[in-house]
Amino acid sequence: MSVIECHGLTKKYERNRALNNLSFKIEENKITGLIGRNGSGKTTLLKIIAGHLKETTGEIKVFSEKPFNNLTISANLIFIHDQMNLPTALNLQEILAAAAKFYENWDAKLAYRLFDYFSFNQSQYYQDLSKGMKSTFNIILGLSARCPLTLFDEPTTGMDAAVRHDFYRAVLKDYIAYPRSFIISSHHLNEIEDLLEEVLLIKEGKAHLHLPVEDFKEWAIGIQGKSSIVQEWTKDREIIHTKNIGTDQSYVVVRNQFSDQERQRARTAGLNLTSVTASDLSVYLTGKTEGGIDDVFNHG
Amino acid sequence: MNLNLDGTKPIYLQISEWLEREILNGNFESDQKIYSQYQLAEIFNINPATAAKGLNILADENILYKKRGLGMFVTSTAKERILSKRKNETLKRLVEEIVLEADRLNVSKAELIEMIKATSIGEVEK
Repeated sequence: MSVIECHGLTKKYERNRALNNLSFKIEENKITGLIGRNGSGKTTLLKIIAGHLKETTGEIKVFSEKPFNNLTISANLIFIHDQMNLPTALNLQEILAAAAKFYENWDAKLAYRLFDYFSFNQSQYYQDLSKGMKSTFNIILGLSARCPLTLFDEPTTGMDAAVRHDFYRAVLKDYIAYPRSFIISSHHLNEIEDLLEEVLLIKEGKAHLHLPVEDFKEWAIGIQGKSSIVQEWTKDREIIHTKNIGTDQSYVVVRNQFSDQERQRARTAGLNLTSVTASDLSVYLTGKTEGGIDDVFNHG
Repeated sequence: MNLNLDGTKPIYLQISEWLEREILNGNFESDQKIYSQYQLAEIFNINPATAAKGLNILADENILYKKRGLGMFVTSTAKERILSKRKNETLKRLVEEIVLEADRLNVSKAELIEMIKATSIGEVEK
């Protein structure tokens, strides 16, 4: 069963298209990483899935229903982001008690264990927490709600490295114990890639790639060596990224479509073949030019 | 598999290689149940689907077999298969790398063989 299905989804703010004819499908009980540059439409997409925003055109179904203004969807999904509107009159303990009433599967024990582990104080108020502590409290809500669909938009904003690692481990453990669907948007692809089953990469409001994370990591290959030889090996191929190193060396990233023999011959020709990490690849793929920021400075 | 020479090895391959080492070290006998995808996910902090991929590679190579509803078990020929795979694939590839590098450095075959002989096992990390 698919949890989310959308076709030709478009969202316009004034004249600006935040989502532009986006189509994809996410199957049940997977952890999907939503990856894209700032302003690529990730948050808009999550808001539409959560039913907070209505699409301009196109179709979206969450649990086979239209999400906008839909109570069933609200009850089965939790959307965690850094602008959470939590009641300012309630202290943290009261917020947890209130949340328990909203979510059918709420696990109060888990909530309080996480609460203690992360050293919260029951009488604190949400608005007085630091940025990182707010994010940490948000993830307690997100995990304890145990909704069939959990959306985390940049959940680790402001968290220190130790808390981020605890968070990833907590998601994994709770997912193993209670399999359900997660969508996590993050700029730290290198940190979350092991946690993910699939990657959905969006660029300029469109789905650019949607792949199992392991395929994503093997999708491209880096070739480094003498520029003339590299050029010979990469002509007629889809070039994703290029960089010149020194006077006569270059590094080119292309689609990984070489056979074992070709790879062996390339090595014999003195080329260095390397795999491209998921996080580097996502940077290259979402960049506007092959050379990235260097192109800006290469107009001299 | 594709990119093992090139530094960053896919996680599922690292999983299958780790399991192979566990079998070679005798931590799992034939017909013994091996870790489930969920146990592996916990141990290595990875998505269970990735762990499953590592297990399935070994099942495809008849190093593990599936019992419906019970999990994966070690086949009676597992050790031999792992050893012959390592010899014919991993070791062969490493040798090719060495020969290639020796060639780049103008080291003759005879010289290379001397170097191999002179390398006592004690110095080499297992």
